[in-house]
Parts: sequence; C-alpha cells; structure tokens
Amino acid sequence: MPRVRTLIVGIPLVLAAVTAVALWVVLRASADKKNEMFIGSIAEPATLNPIQAADSASSSVLGVIFNGLLKYDADLHVAGDLAERWTLSQRSTFFFATPENAMQAAANMETSLLDREKLHLRQYRVENNRLVLELSLPGTADSLALAKLFGAAQPQPVATLSIVAPKELGDVLSEFSSLTPSARIVRTWAIGNLGEIVFLGDSKVVQQHLQEFLTEKFGAEGLVVESVAAPTFLAEPEVTFHLREGVQWHDGTPFTARDVKFTYDAIMDDRVASPRKSDYELVLSVETPDDHTVRVVYRRPFSPALESWMMSILPAHLLAHTPPDQWPLTFNRAPVGTGPFKFSEWKTNQFVRVVRNEDYFRGRPHLDGIVFRVLPDPLTLRLAFETRQVDFWTADPWAVGSFKMDPRFSVFTSPSNSYNYIGWNLRRPMFQDLRVRQALAHAVNVEQMIRYVLYGYGTQSTGIFTPDMWFFNPHVRPLPFNPEKARELLDEAGWNLGPDGIRVKNGERFAFTLITNNGNAVRSDIATLVQADLKAVGIEVKVEMYEWAVFLKNFITKGEFDAMVLGWALGQGFDQFQIWHSSQTGPEQLNTVGYKNAKVDRLLEAVREEFDRKKIISLCGELQQRIYDDQPYLFLFVPEGTSVMWKDAFRVRRPGPDGQWIDEPVTMTKAGWSYYLEWFYRPEYAKGAAQP
Amino acid sequence: MTSFIIRRLLISVLLLFIISVISFFIITLTPGSPYPWGELNPKVSPEVKRVFREKFHLDRPLTEQYTLIMRDLFSGRLRSIKDERPVLEKIGERLPATLVLNLGALALSLSFGLMLGVYGARHAGRLPDVVTSVLAFTFIALPGFWISYLMAIVLVNWAAVPILGTHTIGVDFTNGLEVFLDGWWHIMLPASILAIGGIAVQSRFIRASMIDTLREDYIRTARAKGLDENAVFYRHALRNSIRPLLTGVGMLLPTLISGSVIIESIFAYPGMGRLGYEAVLERDYPTLVALNFVTAALVLGGNLLADLLYAVVDPRVRLE
Repeated sequence: MPRVRTLIVGIPLVLAAVTAVALWVVLRASADKKNEMFIGSIAEPATLNPIQAADSASSSVLGVIFNGLLKYDADLHVAGDLAERWTLSQRSTFFFATPENAMQAAANMETSLLDREKLHLRQYRVENNRLVLELSLPGTADSLALAKLFGAAQPQPVATLSIVAPKELGDVLSEFSSLTPSARIVRTWAIGNLGEIVFLGDSKVVQQHLQEFLTEKFGAEGLVVESVAAPTFLAEPEVTFHLREGVQWHDGTPFTARDVKFTYDAIMDDRVASPRKSDYELVLSVETPDDHTVRVVYRRPFSPALESWMMSILPAHLLAHTPPDQWPLTFNRAPVGTGPFKFSEWKTNQFVRVVRNEDYFRGRPHLDGIVFRVLPDPLTLRLAFETRQVDFWTADPWAVGSFKMDPRFSVFTSPSNSYNYIGWNLRRPMFQDLRVRQALAHAVNVEQMIRYVLYGYGTQSTGIFTPDMWFFNPHVRPLPFNPEKARELLDEAGWNLGPDGIRVKNGERFAFTLITNNGNAVRSDIATLVQADLKAVGIEVKVEMYEWAVFLKNFITKGEFDAMVLGWALGQGFDQFQIWHSSQTGPEQLNTVGYKNAKVDRLLEAVREEFDRKKIISLCGELQQRIYDDQPYLFLFVPEGTSVMWKDAFRVRRPGPDGQWIDEPVTMTKAGWSYYLEWFYRPEYAKGAAQP
Repeated sequence: MTSFIIRRLLISVLLLFIISVISFFIITLTPGSPYPWGELNPKVSPEVKRVFREKFHLDRPLTEQYTLIMRDLFSGRLRSIKDERPVLEKIGERLPATLVLNLGALALSLSFGLMLGVYGARHAGRLPDVVTSVLAFTFIALPGFWISYLMAIVLVNWAAVPILGTHTIGVDFTNGLEVFLDGWWHIMLPASILAIGGIAVQSRFIRASMIDTLREDYIRTARAKGLDENAVFYRHALRNSIRPLLTGVGMLLPTLISGSVIIESIFAYPGMGRLGYEAVLERDYPTLVALNFVTAALVLGGNLLADLLYAVVDPRVRLE
C-alpha cells in the first residue's frame, strides 16, 4: 500500500516545506524600513469619531487626524490651534425696580469709579430698567465690586432654576414665561430635555408654579426642578474665536465657523450620546457672525469651559446631512479631519494607518505616515519594540533601568497627571479625628514605597494636584515618615496600646479593613506595605481585594468601606469640584470618602468662576494646602511615566519662532515626547524632509 | 435518517433559545457597566449617563432588554455598544481569519497526529515509540501560552522574523505568491501552537486504536493468508482505526469557531476569541449575546455534521 504510506508521511512534509519557504520569503522581505512611524498599543481604538471616543487608544489616533480650536503648547499653556486668537469678555446685567433707579446707579458708579482698568470695565449702558456692564474679563468678582458703587439704588436679585424634564422641552419654557409675566423671567434656555430659567421675584413661588406647569405637560415622573447656586445678577461670559483662514479639510473643503457650530450641536444631540456633553452644558448659545468668527456665550462664569474648546472639530459638510446613527458605519471608521495626517485604512484588530496631509496648515509633515498597531499582549509588544517593529514602548518601572543603561535607546521620563492614595472613609468614627489621620500619614513610609513599588520612578504626592500642572503649589510640605510622632499623636487622640499590641479606645480596637481591586500589582503592593507599617504603630489592618466592578459597586460608590487604595488619573484642568465638594458625597458621586469642609467648598466654587491666571494659581494653592492639611486621603505618590525610543529612529526638524528650522533629537516636552509628531523624520530619509 | 435530522434540528432550536437566555442573563447580571468612559470619571455627568442608558435600552427591565436584543439580532439591526457597528458585521469581519487559522490548526493536528500515531503503532514498544510517546505526553502537559512565548522570543529575538498579525506590515510584496506565503507564515505559527495539543492527543488515539485493531481476529486471518505486512497494516488495520480522527474533528469544532483568546492575543491575530474577550471586559452585551448565539449555532450544526459523517464512514453506525 505505498500510496497510503506516501500520503501519511507526505502531507505533513509538504506543510512543513511550504512553511519553510514562507519563512525564507518573509525574512528576505522585511529588512527595509519604510518612511513611516509604527506605534504599538495594547487596545484597539473604539471609534474614530472624536466626540464619541472616550478611550486612550482612540485619542492617540485622533490627535494626528483632527484639530481643536485650542490646544496645549509644549509647556501646557493654552494656545490657538484652529483658532488664530481668542478674546474673553463678559456682559453683566443688573435689574432695577425702575429705569430711574438704573440711571441713578449708573451715575453713582460713574462718580465713584476710580480705576476702570483694574475692574476690567470696558463700557456700560442703561437699557430700560437694566444696567448692562461690558467687562473685558469674565468672572463675578469685578461685577460685584462695581455693584458696590451703585449707592442707594440697589439692584433686584435674580434667581435661577434648573430643569430636567422627562421629554424634550422645546418651547415649553418660553410658553411658561409668557403665561406668567408676574415672575418677570429674564432669560430661558432649553436644549433637549435640559432647561433653565432666570427670573426676578420670589424663587419659592416661581419654583412651585413651574413645577405644576411642567407636571401638567410631562407628568411628575423624571421631572426635576431645583434652584441653582448662581450669581444674583445676569453674568454672561463670552468667548470669541477668530478662526485661522485657509485651513482645508482632508477632502479639500474649506474649514469654517459652520463646522464649529455643527460640532457643538452634535455633542448636545442625544442621539450621539457624547461623553463630552457635560463640558458644554453651560453654553447659552454658539453664534457664527461670519465664516471665521465663532462667539460662544455662557449662562454663567465657568472658567474650566475654555479648555473644552480643545475638542476636535468635525466636518459639517460630511456629517450634517446624515443621521448620527449612520456615523458608526461610515465616518467613525474613516474620519476626515484637518490634522497633519489623513486617515488611510483601518484593519480591525490589526492596525490603523494614516498618511501625510500634504496641505497641512502648519506645513507638510516629514513622515509618509504613521501606523498604529494593535498588539494586545504586553510581552509581544515589548518584543515588537526590541525588534523595531514598533518604534516606541511605554516601559514598566521595573524595566526602565535596563533601557536607561543601554546607549541605543532614548528614555523619556516625566511625572504623570495621576497619583495614588489611601482614602479614609470619614463617615467612620475612627477616622474623624485629624490627629489620627496625621498619625497614619506619619506611620507610612512613602519613600520606601516609591523605592520598592515603583523602583524609584515616582515622587511623593503633596495633595490633589500633580507637579506638572501650572497651578500646582510647590510649597506644600509632605508629612514625613516618623513612627515616633505617629505613636505620640495616637496616644494624644486616646488610642492607647492594648494587651495584644493593638491600640484601644473606649473598648474598641484600632482595626480596619483596607480594600482595593485585584489585578493591579501596584495597589496590592501598597496595601501590603501599609499593613506592615501600621502594625508597627499598633494598628491592625486587614487587606481585602475584589474584582474591579464588584469593588466599585458594592463598596466605593455606596461609601461602605473603612479605607481603600485607589488612584486618580487627572486631566490638565484645575476643577476638582466633583471630587472634593461636600455636595458630592452621595452614592455614585465621586467624593467617596465623604470629605466636607466649608472653606474648601467656597474655594472650589470660586476657582470655577475665576478667569484670572494669577488668582487661579493662588486659589488652587490654598485649595491644595487646605485639603492636604485635612488629610482626607493619605496622599502617596505621583508615578512617573516612561517611554522608550530607539535613539537612531527619529529626529525632529521643526519651524522655529523666527522662521528658521530647528533640527534636534527627539526630546521630552511637558506635553510629552510626541508633541512635535508632525515634524519627526527618519534620518535615513532625511533628504525627503522639508528644507528651510 | 431524515427523521433523525429533523429531530436533531428541533432540539437544536430549543437548545439555542436556552443558551441565548442563559448567556444574556449571566452577562447582564455580572457587576460592571458598559459605559465607555471610566466609572470614576469626574467629567461625566449623570445626564450623560442617562442619555447613554436610554440610547442602548439599558434603562429597561432585563426581560425587555432580552427581547429587544433578540429582535434586533434576527432583523440584523443589533449594534455593539462599544462602537455602534452592526454586531453581525463585527463577527463577519473576524470569522474568515478565525476559520483560516483554525482550519490550519486542524490540518496540522490531523496530518501530524496521523503520521506520529501510525509510526508509534508500527514500532509499538520499541525505542521510536517510546520517544514519540514521551514527547506527546510532554506537549499535552505544556501550556500553550508558554510555548508561544518561547517561540516568539526565539523567532523574534534571534531571527528578527515578523510573527504578529496576519501579514508583514510595512512591506509591499510585489507578486501574489509572496503575499500568499507571507500570509501562510503568519497563520502557521499560531496554528502550530494551537495544533500541538491536538497532534499529541490525536497520535495517542490513533496509536491505541491501531494496536487494538492489530489484535483483532481478522488481522490474524489476513496475516495467515500470507499477506504482505504493509498491506495488513495500511489496508486492513488503518482503515478500521481511523475513527478517532473523526472524534477529534468533532472535539475541535467548537474551538474552530470560537477561537483562542490567549494565542490570538500573543500573536496579535484578529480572531473571534479576542472579540469575545474584549466584549466581556467592556460589558458589550449585544456583541456577547450575538457571539454566543452564532458560536452555539455553528457548534450544534458542526456536531450534527460529525454525527452524519460517522454514519457515512462506519457502516456499523445507524442513525435512528
């Protein structure tokens, strides 16, 4: 039976032989490197629509395809991107009982006004019974200072009610205002099922009227009418963007103000379900007086709002005529932007390729393209980096050392915008004594933790902001490791050593459970070290770990835990209202430890209304110091992020400030190594790169 | 035969319904939420969460969610929560890659398993048999991911061969043959890892089955007739020992479609295993339900096919 025998041996041999030939072909072909950059990422982008994406894999791709009106420059200052420049202003409107009162107030102000500049007053006018102030800086402080000069003619305060309706509000609010002239409604606003009215008069009465009126329209279920803490006059900040001219979309269509307006409308459209909607909820209107001007008016001062215009702008001409539920099938898989690179192809679960935009408004990028590869396994991702299949690698702390010593690599290390902490549940009596929390901070050896957990790549945290933020307060001193001091403080607080070496107060042992999520080695290491450190001062810690979803659902969002190890990954913004304000301690809210401090509340509110850079720095500085002094968290450390690059892979040739070209190695900026991505070039393709 | 098929099909439909119910409730009752942003995200307001829940019907009771998902699945409108693309399109995109990879693995494990099994039986008890047996048991025992890493490190670090994905990225092959061979290479590596266990198990089955068959009376008769030993071995004994191969195919069917998370991740291969795994992590309920449903349907169909094949190959099997 030689035929069967041949088959039995032959088939495997043929399979093996073809594979060997294939290996030879692949080996021979893969030697040359194209003029492209290869970036590896564990995760695949979810969607390439910037207003729907919320994951970091998507944002790194979107960053080279799209532009916002604003961006952060290399030093993390706000700079223009699609907007050439922008101006801030505010209109403050005060309401008086009679037009005569308004005239009187204006006259009084005029006579006692010494320094217009200092209070940012540009001009003012009286309209009927209103006094309208035009200010060159948004905020409430200047307006209130000016109101002090009104003399005997005092303005009538306005009150604000916010509405969440079960259905779209439409014109219901203007209908209400025409039906109830006695309420003297001065402004209504509605978008989707959110609404707001501002009025003169008794807020309790109007609230009741409105509640009844809306219940009749929509029914009581899902209807919320509540009063809002807002200024007692109409404060309407305004941002005017002057757009760059001559910018084109990747398909050649000119970019105009219409695109900006469209992007705002799309974000507010419930069919899109954009996670960015909350950034724009205080917008009163977006107007486009001409093709290159966009005027955004806000309902009240909210300074973090400016940075929301770093949002990528969508092309109206491609999307305005298709319903949003079609976008995932078309645009979200093949986006068109204004950025340095154009989308080229997306092979699911494999890679996204972008190619050079020859007509980029800052100039032609040097690289032919960038390939974002999806390499889900951390070890093969590293192998791919070591064999130059990808050009960058984000190194784990334990691996940084070996790359630093190797001269073939450039290592970029920078503090991250995140910190790790232990949150003490302040609802538990044992953590309510400040001395106890200070003792806990003195008892834990954070320096040792940084050395063992992060291999030294981190700095001790001194509160709610991280060192790279422009409003960070460098004068906050960390509580030093000092177990002796910790013991003293605990003794002082009445926790005395018991017979088993654990402290006791009123018959209660100082023992608690420290929880964290499993699957995060850094957090479980922290828990272990804290357990040992606290044992040394007579505190018993039990460590428990839960799956992330269970950890959140059963413990954190309910506020049912003693202490937990967690971290915050922050943006560049200074607004931490949701994390620290006393109104945010409910279930599913983010002040999970139940921290309440009236002074801190006021600072959090004030900084949101402050547009002056210096004042923001001073408010944030005080905020950071006060919260650190209160020790609601044991602030542990700010880890450093490390990227590794093959030293000979890329250089940067970018336009300098005076029109000359700067040629330099890839360097770290505050905004990361990739800040000048469009100016990266491969030295072996240097001839193709632009010349001055 | 026809009544057998009809009965099996009816049972399959019932089974599919039960599977879809169970998989839906297991998935939705697991803690966690499908929000695409982090759970603790200060930038996301309750209003945004409400809009999101409404859009994907997550505010409805579970039973209603189930009927909505099944309705959309059958009308082909079911969309993933993650990227809002039609779920069937997402599955269809990965199915070819998964099929090619697993057919490759199947081919390898059947062909090499048969060769080694026959070889072992032919030399039963002697040194070559002992060596293949030891190797087989070793490979059954070794975890696939460990071998994959080892292979990746050796091939990538020592020979700098691209092994990730379905083809070499950043190289333009000029002719079709090269493109084919490039694809072949990228499939053969993960396929051989997937096949290692199969080869080892198959060869053991075939060896044992051959040795049993060789003890049968009709083999003694054949030898007594004075037939050539090769003819006895390859014609009489082998044909009767081939059934384990079919059992093996039956066992491999589920993995053929569902894919392997670990191997696909290590080799960055775009298969169904990763789709399912990522959908679990993201709590992408529609994708998961559809994926389970499609996989279950294909497996049930495959099993039916394997049973029918038995009857074709082995006349002793009767389907009633």
